[in-house]
Amino acid sequence: MENILEVKGLNKTYQDFSLKDISFSLPEGCITGFIGINGAGKTTTLRSILGLTPIESGDIRVFGMDMATNEKAIKERIGIVLDEGGFYDELSLSEMKGIIASAYQSWNENEYRAYLDRFSLNPKQKISTLSKGMRMKYALALALSHEAELLIMDEPTSGLDPLIRSQLLDILKEFMERGGRGVFFSTHITSDLDKIADMLVMIDGGRIVFQEEKDTLLDGYRIVKGDLMKLDSNSEKMFMAIDKTTYGFTAITKNVDEARKILPDSIFERPAIEDIMLCNIKGGK
Amino acid sequence: MLLQLVKKDFLIVKKYVLLMIAVCVVFPLFLIWRSPEYAGILGFVLITIFSIFMLLQYVSLKETQYPKASTLLCALPFSRKDIVLSKYIFCILIYFACSLIFGLETLLFPQLRNVGYELPALSFLVISVVLGIYLPVQYKLGYEKTKMFFVVLIMASPFLFAKSLEIETNFIAEVLSERNPIALLAACLIISMVILIISSVISTGIYKKADLS
Repeated sequence: MENILEVKGLNKTYQDFSLKDISFSLPEGCITGFIGINGAGKTTTLRSILGLTPIESGDIRVFGMDMATNEKAIKERIGIVLDEGGFYDELSLSEMKGIIASAYQSWNENEYRAYLDRFSLNPKQKISTLSKGMRMKYALALALSHEAELLIMDEPTSGLDPLIRSQLLDILKEFMERGGRGVFFSTHITSDLDKIADMLVMIDGGRIVFQEEKDTLLDGYRIVKGDLMKLDSNSEKMFMAIDKTTYGFTAITKNVDEARKILPDSIFERPAIEDIMLCNIKGGK
Repeated sequence: MLLQLVKKDFLIVKKYVLLMIAVCVVFPLFLIWRSPEYAGILGFVLITIFSIFMLLQYVSLKETQYPKASTLLCALPFSRKDIVLSKYIFCILIYFACSLIFGLETLLFPQLRNVGYELPALSFLVISVVLGIYLPVQYKLGYEKTKMFFVVLIMASPFLFAKSLEIETNFIAEVLSERNPIALLAACLIISMVILIISSVISTGIYKKADLS
């Protein structure tokens, strides 16, 4: 699989926050979840990739092309969904579409209309009258109507109800079915990624914590529940995010085989992405 | 692409565009009623400057109100250069619209007298100088920090109005009558274009480095 997006050594400093040597890649044909808590650096990274914020150093390549020198050609092939859409609320759907469509040479009006019909959106409706879910659907209709090969979404599911989130995930699956495409999807709602992501990249405090295939990652960790009496200072070193109560302990481990040997009577459960995210956050140990 | 961005600016302030057209039509007629001797030239100059800056302020206000919309536009294949240029074209189009409205009014109301093409050219030069300074400063400092400039302009307008009357009678009329009108027109247009081109290059440079939140 070729990489659809490659970020190497990305650095960006603000007064109170910095991205430090961010490097990761998105293979073609994968939905990649970009996870981290609020303020971890997800949005700054996405904006750096899209050239919305100047970077100090780093190399960003999309479809094998350098973003710094091929920005327009690359953006022709990217669909963007920003948190809360990024629209002028006083315009109608049709007026906003007119502005956005004019940016793309490959705008497909039929596809756009098909999405509007599917989402029951009225083109004459004012954007300000759309609910958060409808706004997200409209943003998706705009992002998917110009033959995009890479869809970049910043917190698309934030604040949406479960039904709309589920519909959004279905649309992403459809998008990927056409082949040769990729989705890069930042979120702190990891339950959506449990359902749909192929690859996960985690950022915390402006640094990449890991990049791994979702199934490999989930296989590499286990939630361990056991008797507090069996836990000693040596065995504690194997665990992260240890939560002790009078009845026992719950922790997460990456050393699954070793933990099974030392604590054979404990219960080992497959974690969710959220468990892994939380145990990798500073202070989660 | 560029024209769509200009259209976007008009769309986001469309309510105010209609209001300004009404003001453009009514203000010279008001001057005919209240001060017929100054209705022509001042009616044109003041209303043109006021319309451009008023609408530009409303566009900036909307951009500030919806900062993510500007971010989205920059995330699309629009170049930042086009986004900046659209703002200059927006102002120039307002100038032409005001000229057109005033031109039609002079045909209907002879009291406005024909201002010829020298005065619109001089006005264009004045507008180019003010915009040439104002827009790069606004791109650098943002709407909030530069809106005071507009407040000062509005506060100072009665004073400018009175001063303009003196200038009109004592200076401009003489200058316009003594110079070759074709040379004056050409000089005004060339200087205006040079100012606007330099200003747009500076604005583009500033906006390319802007950190879009």
